[in-house]
Amino acid sequence: MTDAFPGFPVFRRRSLPGSTADPLVHDECLEGSGRPRPHWRGLLESLGRLGTAELSARRDEGNRIIREHGITYNVYGDPKGSDRPWDLDLVPLVLPAAEWRTLERGLIQRSRLLNLVLSDLYVGTQRLLLDGFVPPELIYSNPGFLRPCRGIPCAREAPLHLAAVDLVRSPAGQWLAFADRTSSPSGTGYAHENRTVLSRILPDELTDAGVRRLGPFFNTQRSMLESLAPRGGDNPGIVLLTPGPLNATYFEHAYLARHLGIPLVEGADLTVRNERVCLKTLDGLQPVDVILRRIDDGFCDPLELRAESVLGIPGLVQAARSGNVTVANALGSSLIESPAFLAFLGPLCRHLLSEDPILPSVTTWWCGVASDLRHVLDRLDDLVIKPAFGRRRGQIWFGHLLDSSERSRLRELLRARPREFIAQECMSPSSGPIWSPDGFDRRSVLLRTFVATNGSSFSVMPGGLTRVAASAEDPLVSMQRGAGSKDTWVLSSPEDSEDVGPRTTFQASVDRRLLGLPSRAADCLFWLGRYTERLEQRLRILRCVLGLVADQNQTGSVSQLSDLNLLVQNLGILPPEDGEDSEDAGDPNLTERILDWIYGSAAPGSIQDLMGRIRHNASAVRDRFSGDTWRILGRLAPGSSDPPVRQSIAHALGMIQDLILNLAAFNGLEMENMTRGPGWRFLDSGRRLERGTAVVGLVTATAFIPGPSDVLLGLLLEIADSVMTHRRRYFSSARWPDVLEILIREVSNPRSLAFQLAALRNHLDALAGELGVGIDDRWVVLIEGLQTRIGAADFDQITPCPDASCPEALVGLMETCSQGLAGLSDDLNNRYFSHTLPRIS
Amino acid sequence: MRELLYDIVHVTDYDYRSAVSVSHHFLRLEPRETPRQRCIAHEFRILPEPSILNPHGDYFGNRAHFVAVERPHSTLTITSRARVAVTPAFVPDISETPAWESVRARCRVDCTRATLEALEHSHASPLVPTSPAFADYASVSFRRSRPIIDALSDLMGRLQSDFRFDPSATTVSTSLEEFFQQRRGVCQDFAHFLIACLRSIGLPARYVSGYLETDPPPGMEKLRGVDASHAWVSLYCPGIGWIDADPTNNCFPSLRHISIGWGRDYADISPVRGVLVGGTDQILKVSVDVTAFGSTPDSDGN
Repeated sequence: MTDAFPGFPVFRRRSLPGSTADPLVHDECLEGSGRPRPHWRGLLESLGRLGTAELSARRDEGNRIIREHGITYNVYGDPKGSDRPWDLDLVPLVLPAAEWRTLERGLIQRSRLLNLVLSDLYVGTQRLLLDGFVPPELIYSNPGFLRPCRGIPCAREAPLHLAAVDLVRSPAGQWLAFADRTSSPSGTGYAHENRTVLSRILPDELTDAGVRRLGPFFNTQRSMLESLAPRGGDNPGIVLLTPGPLNATYFEHAYLARHLGIPLVEGADLTVRNERVCLKTLDGLQPVDVILRRIDDGFCDPLELRAESVLGIPGLVQAARSGNVTVANALGSSLIESPAFLAFLGPLCRHLLSEDPILPSVTTWWCGVASDLRHVLDRLDDLVIKPAFGRRRGQIWFGHLLDSSERSRLRELLRARPREFIAQECMSPSSGPIWSPDGFDRRSVLLRTFVATNGSSFSVMPGGLTRVAASAEDPLVSMQRGAGSKDTWVLSSPEDSEDVGPRTTFQASVDRRLLGLPSRAADCLFWLGRYTERLEQRLRILRCVLGLVADQNQTGSVSQLSDLNLLVQNLGILPPEDGEDSEDAGDPNLTERILDWIYGSAAPGSIQDLMGRIRHNASAVRDRFSGDTWRILGRLAPGSSDPPVRQSIAHALGMIQDLILNLAAFNGLEMENMTRGPGWRFLDSGRRLERGTAVVGLVTATAFIPGPSDVLLGLLLEIADSVMTHRRRYFSSARWPDVLEILIREVSNPRSLAFQLAALRNHLDALAGELGVGIDDRWVVLIEGLQTRIGAADFDQITPCPDASCPEALVGLMETCSQGLAGLSDDLNNRYFSHTLPRIS
Repeated sequence: MRELLYDIVHVTDYDYRSAVSVSHHFLRLEPRETPRQRCIAHEFRILPEPSILNPHGDYFGNRAHFVAVERPHSTLTITSRARVAVTPAFVPDISETPAWESVRARCRVDCTRATLEALEHSHASPLVPTSPAFADYASVSFRRSRPIIDALSDLMGRLQSDFRFDPSATTVSTSLEEFFQQRRGVCQDFAHFLIACLRSIGLPARYVSGYLETDPPPGMEKLRGVDASHAWVSLYCPGIGWIDADPTNNCFPSLRHISIGWGRDYADISPVRGVLVGGTDQILKVSVDVTAFGSTPDSDGN
């Protein structure tokens, strides 16, 4: 498991001087005299004017936006589960225009250099090895050197479409690179989202400062991706390849896919046919020309790379080798993010570009070089020792913190396996202000910057992702250890005027016409429709039952409780009770069983279980939902509200009520906001099938209760949300035939079976048109058959009279309907999603 | 020089319990050209008919083929037929070979394509770790200033007496450390172990995949490892080149060994590697037949 954001070890003296002005730390904000630096003055004055109470309110607002946008970072092994909310500080890191211009030049130079080195090692003649600029061992003993990728042609000689460079500012005030991220760098999406949040909570400050906008960078990146397509041509198929929702930075994958306007796909969505990569969509296989990957390169193809990978696409390397697809960044790019390379980039820059490095690296020694090893052993006290090929989190040693026995053990290790280690000059990062309700404080800061290229042009994101240490004492700034983040404000100069503004108006065309809906996404949407509807049905039943129980506890009417108990039993929603058969009057345990089931159970079909399924399916198609819709879905997460100290009917009813309203909000937003394409039709088909099945189940369960009371029939109408419809039509208490008329046959009642059948028929016709293939005749026959049966049924005739014990006719009709719906669901699965995994229906 | 001719038939047969919808395979079955070996003819017969059968040279210069079967199938049969001509290997006078330390030093001083290739094979690789334990085992034979092939020959002799050839002792997932402990295994284990010993003292050694003649010439003993593809080792020696050594049979390969290709270890040169979509269990059957059928006329007229 790799760390998306590598940490930086912070140098601390053993005895910390208490003074605030530490000469070993550059202060981002204050000059030596204690006065704010010029580029910070406006912001600091403005924050000072706002005052503690207002800043507190703004920070809370920021946190609320973060929760609502669902900005998360998954911390591996976190017992609180995945999706830790993103931590963003109120105070940005401010950088002046002139300083940024130098950084920008340095980053472009670095991107050119890294591209040249990678090209020589993978595509070229490996002159750098022969001429001694790169030690052969650095390549040959490097796990990041992917031999099957040697010789793969590289689109426009730009293997590194996007590089991230992690910067630290030295005590002397100079920015130094301490890591390059070249495989599939994270952070552009988080940086953009940080800006979005700050533009809401500090809008005036952002405008007044003249901060450069981030949006244009993404537009440029999108057009660069297009130009990387192997055969040029118009409208290349571009996808973003993700390992899936369990990855640390999945939030960002979905975010970027939505903003770049390209489909978010998993390995299983792609297949290689005829040495071409294709996306499995509802209307067949669609060619893919460019893959923006967020899967580590070693995991991209189980056939030629790591065989155990279940994330990759068999045959991808061959497709790339044949020149049929561009993978960005190129497969094998992770080679050059080995920290050991930092020791060689300076001379390489002078050799390949005939330029001095504008942006130097932190001084680094690779122990694989004999003279470097000697130097490191001599100066162990001043150095920090790290893994040389450390893409994984590995141990880090601070020379000055070791006692003598630890030191000799380390020396031994370095002598035994020198190639596996580097040493770097120990250094304290600069510190920047952070804000908390207790006031301003200072923390170590690191800056991740981004540079994109398509070979001919380069674009640096004006800003980046600033990370701050979790505490003043933490020796390592690392996201996995809870570090926070900051927005990064690059101030504009007159020549940057066109991309300055408070709003991050983001103009990527959200254009899905190029590639259709992936089958897996359609499958997830269909089941999302089913599970949300199923949850709502369950909640409605529980609400009615609990309400009635609460009433009857007061009035003490036993016969109705007994009917109720039977209904609950017939519906089969509660797990069978163990022990004695308590079919007789008013199961006293009913309330408790229901409460246990609501709060505790994770059994299949329980509320917690359904919420988990909803979350799972929604996550997998997160790029298809608006921010608002996603927020509502977030509220349906299991454990999103804390369990009460004491379970009570009142609390349960309150919780159920909230969930039902949230489901209604989800349905409303999705009706409102989702385009009526195949995706929405699958979602709604799932819902219609589930709702039809539920109403049939409800009627069947009631039919087995002899002579149902009008209270029970009323309950039925309430569960099916059809009380108003009934009241408008029949001004009396409920009768069986009338109830059936409303729940089964009434086409205008959105809760009736007839309504669901009509809607399904409509969706299938529309899908046939949109996907360009005729719908299966069997489906038409099936739906029309059910419609005819329902239309012809004589409800007065088939409803059981109060004394009849077995209502065969009614139950038979319901059975036919239920089987028809189940068959339809299976057929849809087989026709459209057959490559996906089986589900519990 | 006189060449011996061989016909090789290598059949790999998969039987899947349930149908596979798509399969992709990488084959390393076509014998490569070497200084003492020519591949006169090679052909594949694959059933069912693949949609793609594309050759390309892999990283190590071996002949690799990419195969895709893109329709449902429940069996897959890959037949590789080759006709190869082999000349005797040059085995230097053992005592004339350079001291082994000088070989190690030479590889790290000059930077030519040949030494780069040697360096490539001087490090631990996925299936062959290096360790002080392997170095210690090797050091008994690699005494100071000993001629390199003399030392290698001694090391193979010790392997022969310390280890037993035992096809039931190891599987593909047995680690080299386990083999070192239990001291039983097959040709792949012997080869990996010898490579680990050589690399652990800094020498370049690679893994060779190939075949042995199935039936021995009259009066000669049948070699171990004839039933499937065989594996041995090649050691680099500046000025001489790569010298093959077969630790399983304790010999220097010559006319009875036919190379397919080489890599750092088995993972680089496994004959058939595949990924299936769909399908569950599979039953694998492999058969190899290597027949000598004479020799070409002596071109030197001797």
